[in-house]
Amino acid sequence: MSRPPRLVACALVLILAGASARAAYAQQAGSASPRDECIACHTTLEPRYAAPVAAFADDVHRQRGFACVECHGGDPTAADQALAKAPATGFRGAPRGQVQIGVCARCHSDAAFMRRFAPRQRVDQAAEYAASVHGKRLAAGDTKVAICTSCHGAHGIRVASDAKSPVFPTNVAATCASCHADASHMAGYTRPDGSPLPTTQRTDYEKSVHFLALTRRNDLSAPTCNDCHGNHGAAPPGVDAVSNVCGTCHAVFAAKFATSKHAPVFEKACVECHGNHAVAKPSEALLGTDATTLCAACHTDAEDPGFVGAATMRADIDGLKTGIERAAALIEQARLSGMEVSQQELALGEARNHLVLARTEVHAFSVETLKPVIAEGQAIVTRVERAGREALAELRFRRRGLAVSLGVILLVVVALAIKIRRIDREVEMEMRHVP
Amino acid sequence: MGTAHPVDGPGIETAARQVEVERRTFLDAVLAFGFVSTAIAVLYPVSRYLVPPASGEPATASVVAGRAGQLAANAALLFKFGSKPGLLVRTPEGELRAFNAVCTHLDCTVQYKADTSQIWCACHNGMYDLGGNVVSGPPPRPLERFDVRLRGEPGNEEIIVTRT
Amino acid sequence: MGEAVIRWLDERLDLSSVRHFIAEKRVPIHAQEVWYYLGGLTLFLFAVQVASGILLLLYYRPSAEEAYESVQFIMTEVEFGWLVRNVHSWSANVLIAAAFAHFFSVFLLKSYRKPRELTWVTGMLLLLLMLAFGFSGYLLPWNELAFFATKVGTGIAGAVPIVGDFTMRLLRGGDDVTGATLSRFYGLHVAILPALTTALVVVHLLLVQRQGMSVPLKVEWRLRAGARLRSIPFFPNYLMRDMLAWYVALALLAALAAFYPWELGRKADPFAAVPAGIRPEWYFLAMFHTLKLLPAHVFGFEGEQLGILAFSAAAALLLLVPFLDRRASRGERSPLFSALAWLILAYLVVFTVLGYLAA
Repeated sequence: MSRPPRLVACALVLILAGASARAAYAQQAGSASPRDECIACHTTLEPRYAAPVAAFADDVHRQRGFACVECHGGDPTAADQALAKAPATGFRGAPRGQVQIGVCARCHSDAAFMRRFAPRQRVDQAAEYAASVHGKRLAAGDTKVAICTSCHGAHGIRVASDAKSPVFPTNVAATCASCHADASHMAGYTRPDGSPLPTTQRTDYEKSVHFLALTRRNDLSAPTCNDCHGNHGAAPPGVDAVSNVCGTCHAVFAAKFATSKHAPVFEKACVECHGNHAVAKPSEALLGTDATTLCAACHTDAEDPGFVGAATMRADIDGLKTGIERAAALIEQARLSGMEVSQQELALGEARNHLVLARTEVHAFSVETLKPVIAEGQAIVTRVERAGREALAELRFRRRGLAVSLGVILLVVVALAIKIRRIDREVEMEMRHVP
Repeated sequence: MGTAHPVDGPGIETAARQVEVERRTFLDAVLAFGFVSTAIAVLYPVSRYLVPPASGEPATASVVAGRAGQLAANAALLFKFGSKPGLLVRTPEGELRAFNAVCTHLDCTVQYKADTSQIWCACHNGMYDLGGNVVSGPPPRPLERFDVRLRGEPGNEEIIVTRT
Repeated sequence: MGEAVIRWLDERLDLSSVRHFIAEKRVPIHAQEVWYYLGGLTLFLFAVQVASGILLLLYYRPSAEEAYESVQFIMTEVEFGWLVRNVHSWSANVLIAAAFAHFFSVFLLKSYRKPRELTWVTGMLLLLLMLAFGFSGYLLPWNELAFFATKVGTGIAGAVPIVGDFTMRLLRGGDDVTGATLSRFYGLHVAILPALTTALVVVHLLLVQRQGMSVPLKVEWRLRAGARLRSIPFFPNYLMRDMLAWYVALALLAALAAFYPWELGRKADPFAAVPAGIRPEWYFLAMFHTLKLLPAHVFGFEGEQLGILAFSAAAALLLLVPFLDRRASRGERSPLFSALAWLILAYLVVFTVLGYLAA
């Protein structure tokens, strides 16, 4: 084929492709809307420019009726690139940095406007952002920090409650880690004390009991990055705020800790013992005086009241725990043998309550306040054990009763045997023919 | 009379027969005692078995949680449901509701807070509303609800709680 | 006083034939006479079952929601309820053991030979009824073990070709083991089976009384040769010996109830998985283990089906033994049937043991 026909053929193919793509897109959009030249043209371009159009199909803004022009400016009716992107049209390209914040905030900080689409949604995100570490650094000229699109995406933005959204609870850690776990990206950033910002938070978090609750037990109320650090106003909680932050969920522990001797001493409050990101499942093993416990890190002197207190509290809790286990085994043995033990099982449930309360009470770090809780639990355990032993004693009593009857029966057997011999001797044994 | 004994004189034979009779009477007495004892050992338990026990009937899917007069409005009481605790609540409006008192977080026993008319778990501050739904705190699931029915003379009815 | 009562009845009912019968009835004495006691023992144990069963009936509730709790109630709240329940559970096992012992002794001594064919037939049917009692009663406490054992057992019944599915649905009261099965088994256990058993026991006993006790072939030959038969009066000599056996059985039951009390188990959960190593009670174990060992396919037939058919055929043949064993009917030795009896006994013992070891 000669050149001109080939060119025409190529052009035809391209036009048809573009038209069909746009037609398909228009079909996706669902209505005979006026032709959006941005989309029409961009779908025909190389992937780098066509990808946003494909992504935009899933965008929540598109579903509400917004188009490219709302964020990017320009003239959606002009097919010519130069006309479409003329400065007079207000075209601003891909907004970055502070400009982007302004673009998003134009709608999202307007309460009256947002009321038309999502009445319950907050409108102070931009203000919060300005107070955050990211916002402050951006204002100081740092362009490496996160802006709106860093977390929410740019073209395929989904609502936060959509499981595919990067800010859905189970995805948040990965989203934050896309920068915070990248050593080269984070190079140069330091903590207030001068030490470099760590990049291990995500790996630490994935070892934690919070991560387990969120991902394995599907408990969406379990915390991820934004629950402690904030969403838009993200900043690490100051050391004085840690107790409050943890205390939003762990209220009882925070309250008890606040009354304890450790509160004025532990700068980092909860984090001091439980860590911040790699919060492991706590147990009695943390409490006590041997090398594996947390208390031993400070309390090493046997004269130290803290040392004594730690040892006592651990011993008390262990005692209650083993008491409950012993009683439970006894009761189960009685139950399987057919004894009625539902009252005791109920009581053991109460005893277990006290064990949970004791573990909570430990955070007041006072042997005196722990003692009554343990004592109540122990009292229940003692009652249950007694009932269990009584049940088993009843079993033994029955056994002995039956053994006595056995004796009487055997007496009859022996007497009968003798009687039979006697009767046989008295009555003649006849010899007879059997027919 | 069976085998013959060498007889030395009428006196010894009579004595021998007397011993024989005594032994036989003794044996008969022992036998009679044995029969009667075993009969009692069987009949006594059977007669006690037939007497209905104090607890009435097996408590299976339902239990008597209390009496209507016992519970004022905006108050609650704990009762035993099998081997687990149950919470019987009378709402401020006077309606009776019953829940499984085992907290869905870590199995502590919940209690009623009259000041806020909510059900509270002391262990980790879990809060439930009067429908059993979680209001705040760590519990992952609402409290199991039971059926409540009244039975008996008005004013002093028994409150029957049944598993749904 | 007893005499006065008897005289009063005699004036109205003429008990002379009864008195004559009691006075004249005699029981033969020979080397094998100890086996005579097994029949009476079985009857005694059955009476214990009826009595303890009636007592349990007063508190037991035959519904899936209440059965387990009612048994728990009997064992914990009712005075001596634990004793009644333990006696009933243990006596069931001892009864079936005695019934089998009685069966084998009759089989080996060839007491089934002419003229006692009908006694054998009624007896075999009674044995099957006892097994049915055991199977139906086992489900009634509605615990885990019972539930799954019934599931497996009725499933095996379902494997019979052609009528299997229908039979299984009939037994289960539906497609699965549910409360409907419990109701059905309860009806079987307390009404249908007792009625059938009573009728058959009456016939069986009448036959025995009418025909007297059979003697072993060796003794019969000696009699034919002119020897005299040693015998003792039934009343009071033999009866006292019978009572001795019954008291020994009672002692055994008391010992078992005291030292090996029957467990309550866990309440059946139809949605739980079948526990590993589930197996039926010992009297079904040989059959169960055999079916487990059979290969999945034998000569193109399903192994399990073939096994069940074989057992059914065996039962049918056993029922007809008196009619098949011509030699014994003629009064001759019949080593073939003796060997068969020993073989069946050995098979049952070995496979029951194997079944236990397999668990």
